[in-house]
Amino acid sequence: MPKVHINGKEIEVAEGTRLIDAFLQNQEEIAHYCYHPGLSVAGVCRLCMVEIEGNPRPQIACNTIVQDGMKVTNKSESIKESVKWVLDFHLINHPLDCPICDQAGECELQEQYMKFGQYDPEMGERKVKKRKVVDLGSKIVLDTERCILCSRCVRFTDEVTKTKELGIFNRGDHAEIGTFEDKPLNNNYAVNTVDICPVGALTSKDFRFKQRVWYLQDKETICPGCSTGCSVKAYYNEKGYFRLKPAFNEDNNGYWMCDEGRALYRHANKEERLLQAQVKADDGSSHMAPGAATKKLAAEIQGLDKQKVAVVVTGQYTNEEYDQLISEWLKPAAIQQVYHWKNKEDEWGDFDGLLLRRDRNPNSKGLQDRLQKASLVNDWSQLEKNLEAGQVDCLVVIGPEIQAYYDDMQDKLKLFQKAKKVIWLSSNPVENLVADYHIPMKTYLEKDGTFVNYSGKEQKIQKMQNIVSQALSLSDFAYLIAGKEIPLTGAAS
Amino acid sequence: MSIVKRGNLKNSWYLPAILSGLGITFKNMILNLFGKRKMLTLNYPEEKYEYSPRFKGSHVLTVKKDGSIRCTACMLCATNCPADCITIIASEHDDPSVEKYPIAYEIDTLRCVYCGFCEEACPVDAIRMGPEWQMPGINGANFVHDIRQLAKRPNLKGGVVSVLDEEERHKAGI
Repeated sequence: MPKVHINGKEIEVAEGTRLIDAFLQNQEEIAHYCYHPGLSVAGVCRLCMVEIEGNPRPQIACNTIVQDGMKVTNKSESIKESVKWVLDFHLINHPLDCPICDQAGECELQEQYMKFGQYDPEMGERKVKKRKVVDLGSKIVLDTERCILCSRCVRFTDEVTKTKELGIFNRGDHAEIGTFEDKPLNNNYAVNTVDICPVGALTSKDFRFKQRVWYLQDKETICPGCSTGCSVKAYYNEKGYFRLKPAFNEDNNGYWMCDEGRALYRHANKEERLLQAQVKADDGSSHMAPGAATKKLAAEIQGLDKQKVAVVVTGQYTNEEYDQLISEWLKPAAIQQVYHWKNKEDEWGDFDGLLLRRDRNPNSKGLQDRLQKASLVNDWSQLEKNLEAGQVDCLVVIGPEIQAYYDDMQDKLKLFQKAKKVIWLSSNPVENLVADYHIPMKTYLEKDGTFVNYSGKEQKIQKMQNIVSQALSLSDFAYLIAGKEIPLTGAAS
Repeated sequence: MSIVKRGNLKNSWYLPAILSGLGITFKNMILNLFGKRKMLTLNYPEEKYEYSPRFKGSHVLTVKKDGSIRCTACMLCATNCPADCITIIASEHDDPSVEKYPIAYEIDTLRCVYCGFCEEACPVDAIRMGPEWQMPGINGANFVHDIRQLAKRPNLKGGVVSVLDEEERHKAGI
């Protein structure tokens, strides 16, 4: 293992480490734009200058591999001076757009300028004007003027998605990034280019102008979009959730996530939620508080023959919730008819080669394990047979949180209608649903818990903020339907 | 505040104090009646006090030369506002050279403390504190000023033009 001196500190790093990584791993400040740990090294921004002892001129840290005994510094006056002037060059044609630029607040150019620049510009020439607000399909807006040509996005489409849509066109100060003839950049990983863009050249249409980034908080959680279980950060404030961004997870998703997953904050916001329980009464449906509705329901199903109560479960809830459901309700009430609703199970093995899996449930594996352990595994055809025969008096459907991924929803609704009483649990309203009880559930952003991904890895999700505070988690529901009160502590909610 | 009671005889008599007070009132009445000196009170609303030109009164949203709103909805005023009284909703403008503009800009003047931080934070001279200070209203809603009131109220006579013009800035090569 080679040893290097970085700013006077001796450290040991792995063989083949890049000098810039050695800096970053040791919390040493180093200016950089074009370097991104998930991409190849381009060495185009010339900002990560360091002085290596025995080397007459400054060198870039990203394209230098650590050698044993290297003595490196970036705190010397000459390095500070060179970084400052490189920054000045970067900013020559960069417009004064910060007030309307969506990146302001998380812009690396702003950060680097405050850390390493703070000079008076000495450029006498006029700024070169380029094209603004170029529409690149349904997801991305390009502003060629703000681009500092770090080529991160170009390398991303070359190396990660291998779709090669983006390129740098023209030469000198007319150089600009873009797609050929402004063709849309619509691959399923395109918005990652917005994340890695250090300036506001690529902005996401979905998030554009919705919020200033400094109004948002973020917390790490797991994407519920498929069984890969990418680590993501959700950004939110008191007005709701605004976006998802990938978080680094070495053995799962690396630095990226797919664009389909990025939309999975919307169903958690108030506009799309089911706010109150809907209870079918003789004179139409009435609204009730979710907890009260569940208690009413518990009293109603108390006297039913438990052989005729069926439960349909989907893989979109957490391990803790399944555990509570089984131990608090299904086992004590001796309910045997539990069915796992698998949407297109024959395609579950499908994988797009990068991140997205066809099994669109974050916790299919967790549910399967738990049902197996409790020996509650039943064949779906049995449910169909029972429904046809009118053998089901009460059907509790623990419905999917993200309904868009269940394309057999309408067929299943028709099937479930054959039960005498249908109870549906979900966080959002369901189209064409006729249920005796529709009880609002918490979304994955409103509860703590564990998902098990396709490979069996357990990952934690975190509670951020409640949007519908009355909504129940599946554990709350299990307690109430079993005729108990929700415990104040200890319940996974 | 505590009340100090002095128990001497002089203070327990209230008539002398009342009479001396009435004496002052009577003296001033005579002086004012015969105009011996200028009265300090103003006959509002016929007479009004003139504040200095630096007075921070009602907010003004400036306009561009074509009359459209200058604000770019950067939210710096709302961020800087200590009273949290500015609400802005930004939107995409059809004109790519404008790009972003506010479709709603509201100031809750009942919450506003008239500190002028919004004016200081604004990078494009879009909001100023004007000289007006009479902003009456019948109910709470009258005190939430929207774009129309902030930029185009009759007192502004068509709007105050901002000193910062984007087109001029572009022509100068900045």
